[in-house]
Amino acid sequence: MSVIDILTRVDAICNKYDKYDVEKQKNLNVSGDDAFARGYAAVDAEIEAALEKAELASKEKSKASIVALNAELRRTKAKLLEEVPKLQRLAIKKVKGLSTEDFAARNDLVLALPDRIQAIPDGSAAAAKQPGGWGPSASHTEIKFDSDGRFDDEYFQESEQSNQFRQEHETRKRRQDQGLEMISEGLDTLKNMAHDMNEELDRQVPLADEIDSKVDKAASDLKNTNVRLKHTVTQLRSSRNFCIDIVLLIVILGIAAYLYNVLKK
Amino acid sequence: MSSDPDKLVAKADKLTKLTLTRWSADWRNATLNYEQAANAYRVAKKYGKAKDAFEQASKGQEMLSSPWDAAKHMESAAALAKEIGNWNEVADLYRRASELYVECGRAQPASDALGKAARAVEDHLPDVAVQLYTDAISLLEEDDKDQMAFDLYRALTAVYIKLEKYTDAAAALLRLGLAADKSSATNSQFKAYLGAIIVYLYAHDVKAAEKCYNDCSQISAFLGSDQGRCGSRLISAYSEGDVEEIKRLAQSSTISHLDHAIIKLGRKLPTGEVTAVKAGTEEGEGLDENDLT
Repeated sequence: MSVIDILTRVDAICNKYDKYDVEKQKNLNVSGDDAFARGYAAVDAEIEAALEKAELASKEKSKASIVALNAELRRTKAKLLEEVPKLQRLAIKKVKGLSTEDFAARNDLVLALPDRIQAIPDGSAAAAKQPGGWGPSASHTEIKFDSDGRFDDEYFQESEQSNQFRQEHETRKRRQDQGLEMISEGLDTLKNMAHDMNEELDRQVPLADEIDSKVDKAASDLKNTNVRLKHTVTQLRSSRNFCIDIVLLIVILGIAAYLYNVLKK
Repeated sequence: MSSDPDKLVAKADKLTKLTLTRWSADWRNATLNYEQAANAYRVAKKYGKAKDAFEQASKGQEMLSSPWDAAKHMESAAALAKEIGNWNEVADLYRRASELYVECGRAQPASDALGKAARAVEDHLPDVAVQLYTDAISLLEEDDKDQMAFDLYRALTAVYIKLEKYTDAAAALLRLGLAADKSSATNSQFKAYLGAIIVYLYAHDVKAAEKCYNDCSQISAFLGSDQGRCGSRLISAYSEGDVEEIKRLAQSSTISHLDHAIIKLGRKLPTGEVTAVKAGTEEGEGLDENDLT
């Protein structure tokens, strides 16, 4: 075993048995019945232990054990996060015998706790982006301000960029307005034409009806006339009449021929 | 039948003249001859003779108791008279044709004939044209065919504007609005009202224009329509003396959809002093207060 190993081992053993070191405890707990200090110390210790476990997990080769260790880490983190609000409440309480600086420092310490807890690597830290803490500048998780909260005079001054942007915005808006005006005029014309067409059609409806009735009358007259014509024509030129005509013609010719013969003699 | 029109006319004349041998005129043949002669003359561009021939043919048809053909011939005669440029005769012939159409009981062609007459003479005898248009319109209105009258109203308005009789023009437009109302042609009605307002403003009679606008606003649909809004903006622009606004409104698309004659008037707005109107209204209010006490 090397010297370094021995030293590490000795450190670990000392840490383990620190709680039996009465003097050290006295120094740690400035006022033994200060709930905050006790709670804070406990959380601190837990964080350290979690960090150690995380280091162990990163060194592990087998995946299963890594997963198990990570799960345990996450559980510890959740528990610690629950403790934080309690500590916050305790931090605000004034305790006798405590200097003002210490008091202010306590607040900061409590506020820094969640960060430290989240910072414990548990295999999922890399994936999610760390959300902004309850710092003074960021208000919402997604919105990021370029200026980091420096709302001083310089911030509201016009910059070249913003001027240009505004100008471009106005030119584009003007062009859009022009286009829209042209469209609006075109639509006006269309509306007017449509109205006129409507009126024209209204005007022509009764005319069309009149045409309809007149054409109907003419058609029926025509049909009547056709039927009568057909009757007349059949009557005039039926085949029976034809035969009678021919026969009579032959008879007359015969009589004429007979008379001719008689007269010739 | 010889195709020489003179000979035809002579023959037809002989047929119609009553002599010892002829106791009754043979109108049928005579009319045929007259028609042929007239067509031949028209082709030969002898308009005067053609016109006379048509008149004779028309008389013949009348004798044959067919007023329709008579009217048609009369119209042809009138058209030829137009070619000659004898305006009074044109008006007379068309009137005669219209009467014959009325005899047939057909109001539409009668009014058409009068309309054609008016259009022919409006450049030369505008007053006669006015009379003809009015008669044509009354013919149609008696027959309840208001919608056909719109075109006649518009032409009448144009003639009035040319004669610079602006009150008459505005009155004609209002009558057009009335006719449109009867046949529920709202678009034409509103355009007519807006036109009347513009005519009054052009004649620089702002009071009358305002009165006209108020009268027309009785019809709620007009108030809310495009034309109504344009009218109200014009009136308010006039009462405020805002020349720029008037000019801008005159270029707007609403006015561009009106009749040509009215668009021309609109573009020439404002006429005369516009600012004086404001002072006039203030004075008027002072007097009113005195009267009320």
